[in-house]
Amino acid sequence: MSHAVEINKLSRHFGSFKAVDEISLTVSHGEIFGFLGANGAGKTTAIRMLCGLLLPTGGNGTVAGCDIMKEPEKIKTKIGYMSQKFSLYGELTGRENINFYGSVYGMNKREISSRIDELTEKLQLQDLLHRQSHSLPVGWRQRLALAVALLHQPKIIFLDEPTGGVDPIFRRKFWSTLYDLGEEGITIFVTTHYMDEAEYCGRISIMHQGKIVEMGKPFDLVARHKAENLEQMFIGLINERGSSGA
Amino acid sequence: MRKIKFIATKEFYHILRDPKSLAIAIAMPIMMTFLYGYAINLDIEHVTIGIIDYDKTAESKELTDAFYESSYFSRPEVEVLDSDAEALLRSSHAIGLLYIRPGFSDALLNGRQFELGMTIDGSDNNLSAAVLNYSNGLVFQFMLDHLPHGVEIPKVDIATQNLYNPDLKSSHFFVPGLVALILMMISAMLTSITIAREKETGTMEQLLTAPVSPRQILLGKILPYIFLALLDGFLVLVVAKLFFGIPFAGSQLLLFAFGLIYVATALALGILISSLTKTQQVAMMLAQMTTLLPSVMLSGFIFPIKNMPLLLQLISNIVPARFFVVIIRGITLKGAGLEILAAQGLYLIILMAVLMLVAAKKFSTRIA
Amino acid sequence: MRQALFGLIRKEFIQVFRDRNMLRLIFLMPIIQLLLFGYVVNIDVKDIDLDVYDFDRSSESRELVQATSANNYFTPHDTVIALRNLEDNFQNSSSDMAIIIPHDFSEKLMRKESPTIALISDGSNANSTAIGTGYMAQIVQSFTKGYYWVEPPLKIRFDVLYNPEAESVYYMVPGIVATLLTMITVMLTSMAIVREREVGTLEQLLVTPIKGRVLLIGKLIPFAILGLLEIVIALTAGVLWFQVPFVGSPILLFALAGLYLITPLGIGLFFSNVTSTQQQAMFFAWFFSVFAILTSGFFTPISNMPMWMQYITYLNPMRYFMEIVRAIMMKGATLPDLTFQVGVLIFYGISIFSLSALRFSKRTA
Repeated sequence: MSHAVEINKLSRHFGSFKAVDEISLTVSHGEIFGFLGANGAGKTTAIRMLCGLLLPTGGNGTVAGCDIMKEPEKIKTKIGYMSQKFSLYGELTGRENINFYGSVYGMNKREISSRIDELTEKLQLQDLLHRQSHSLPVGWRQRLALAVALLHQPKIIFLDEPTGGVDPIFRRKFWSTLYDLGEEGITIFVTTHYMDEAEYCGRISIMHQGKIVEMGKPFDLVARHKAENLEQMFIGLINERGSSGA
Repeated sequence: MRKIKFIATKEFYHILRDPKSLAIAIAMPIMMTFLYGYAINLDIEHVTIGIIDYDKTAESKELTDAFYESSYFSRPEVEVLDSDAEALLRSSHAIGLLYIRPGFSDALLNGRQFELGMTIDGSDNNLSAAVLNYSNGLVFQFMLDHLPHGVEIPKVDIATQNLYNPDLKSSHFFVPGLVALILMMISAMLTSITIAREKETGTMEQLLTAPVSPRQILLGKILPYIFLALLDGFLVLVVAKLFFGIPFAGSQLLLFAFGLIYVATALALGILISSLTKTQQVAMMLAQMTTLLPSVMLSGFIFPIKNMPLLLQLISNIVPARFFVVIIRGITLKGAGLEILAAQGLYLIILMAVLMLVAAKKFSTRIA
Repeated sequence: MRQALFGLIRKEFIQVFRDRNMLRLIFLMPIIQLLLFGYVVNIDVKDIDLDVYDFDRSSESRELVQATSANNYFTPHDTVIALRNLEDNFQNSSSDMAIIIPHDFSEKLMRKESPTIALISDGSNANSTAIGTGYMAQIVQSFTKGYYWVEPPLKIRFDVLYNPEAESVYYMVPGIVATLLTMITVMLTSMAIVREREVGTLEQLLVTPIKGRVLLIGKLIPFAILGLLEIVIALTAGVLWFQVPFVGSPILLFALAGLYLITPLGIGLFFSNVTSTQQQAMFFAWFFSVFAILTSGFFTPISNMPMWMQYITYLNPMRYFMEIVRAIMMKGATLPDLTFQVGVLIFYGISIFSLSALRFSKRTA
């Protein structure tokens, strides 16, 4: 297993609609990979396939060394996932949420509580462990959701728009946490709509109408398209493609 | 006026684009009509009775036939064992057991006193009372037919006449009353849920920031439900006419007028509920508790009000369905006119006015 | 996977106990409904409003009128003699029946001829009309006895088992127990999964390595436990408050309730899978409840229904459980008496549950 994620011509069709159309990419261990695209470009469908939630209709690939087509359940033991909804149980406190997800991953009490101690230090969870999570501000819920995704020490985490609705200060803190995780060797696969965040990524890909239309280091891409910044490049690319596609 | 129309159109789209919920809103009343019309049936028929005949004569055979040939009774599906006949009652294979002891035909032919024995499963007290009555009647008639020559029993004859429903069909009683329940269900419950939904998703705030008055919003929101309620009411009445032969003796215009007053009352209730709640779930629960449950239980729709404890009888006076049930039965079955139903109508109007006032006040203070 | 199962169950209970509305729904509703149903669900016919048109005005006719109020069968109202009133009182439901006693009633009675009285009914309430007519026949028959001294030679001696006091609440409480159990479990389970889907936590669960069937069982066990708790609450309230006798074995009832629960849980699960919002799930659960209650024989005997409707009732799992609860509580039925019902419930439980479980695959959810 030389790459954390390696997919080749992966497709997902819903009837005649090609939500994801033969995408190929590789992500190395410890890389922060930005997965960009306009709304409805097929990002969520692609992520769901990578996480083993959806079976592809064509192509092949591995995630954390496991076959996407054949071993979706095994993938799940090796990855962490955080959705844009910060899916937590509102009635449960922070600690209860973590305990619950820990038990779902088959961890015993001792493992969970020592892991909570580690994560508390890393993510500053101390204030939110004893409060019901529906009463927490968005930024705190985001940290708790990240803690849940990291709980079972996955090698790869998938983050689907992890900073929606969070203020800039929290976003900055969040990204510095992601950098720390990257240095520990954890692969991060992240989608975002914020171009300043995309710049933090090692490499990015841009999806449009089910296909990956561009991939590379953020600044290489800006240079290649002779744009002033990433945002201009992104908008230019989408407009150009959109008109040709229509 | 145009604004109201816009909101109403939007609400119509809401309803039409959730086909699963719409299907339920249309299918529910129709299913309920068929179920109440056919399944809730108090006319005792085909009660299974086991007959244990120890006499084994032509007369005892004749009595057995008299029981099974009447529409009231039928044979059990399993064989009656002399040894443990009561097992039939325990396993609900039969409701009653008639024992014909030896000597029956002898006593009958000679006009001597004789007692038949009958064991009844009394758990359903209404059913057992009916079995008791019918068996008594059957045996009395059997006896009159077999009196020895020259013996006559003088009696007081009762000439009976059943008005409005000569065949005594239960469906005549339940189906018109059901309209009261369904109008309440659609008008009060759906409106309260839909307003709560707009609050929950934040679109109500959006609407209020637009240059429309709360009253216009309200009117626009409820118009489609008035339409849906009247459509449902109409469907039920069509089914009532076609499948159950409900006579529609009285004025349809009068029924429509009272129907509108009743729907307005129900809508006022729905608006009141929605202004007291913030989430769909709570609205649904509150609506069930304050509209649906009383309309089924305390309206006289199925259960006679005079059987209830005094407290519940008093409460039934503020249940709008109670008055509408009397009105709709009066008009459809008995051809009652305005002069007969004036008291009920007036009471309904008063209820409507009070509820409207309270609802309007709560709605503007809570929402605007 | 034991940790996962226990974790799920613990989570589900914490959620229920922190949600006030849910708590009310689960614990207060059954008691309120039991009380309301216990007092209201009663189709006994008594206190029939009887308009009296006595043209005879004799002591005999007065005696007959007096006799009608025995046992609270009728409430006689002496009416101004003007027959055109008769229908008015029917039309606004202020009177149910009218009796007309002709002017020659006492005269014929004395001469031992058979006099005729007229009984006119508002037939729209078929049931009370039929029963009221029966009452009147009984009353008149025993009234006649006093004048003719004739004992009919053929009689039936009745022996009423199980509920000789004819208390309708004894019959209704077991029915309410079955109804409540069905309604609450179907309602709660149908919302359970759709709610997690709406909030997004279902997706989070599905990317974990948890097994589909563990997830399924972990979601259902808490509701099964709540359902059984529900039965205990309702039965205790019924026995203590309404003094309903409990003849059979509570353990058998409890065990069969556990068996029955598989079916409503499976149905709720099915609704949860085919709907996308809580509101839809609520409507589905409600639709089912109405069907289940009306075809269960809860209010009126199934044998009264038309034949095709009786076949439909065989589809309703609650029908069998209703029979079981009533038979155990009232008649002391034992397992051999209930083989048919139990067999059908096992069949329904297995098929409905596997159908729902099949639909609930981790991928498509």
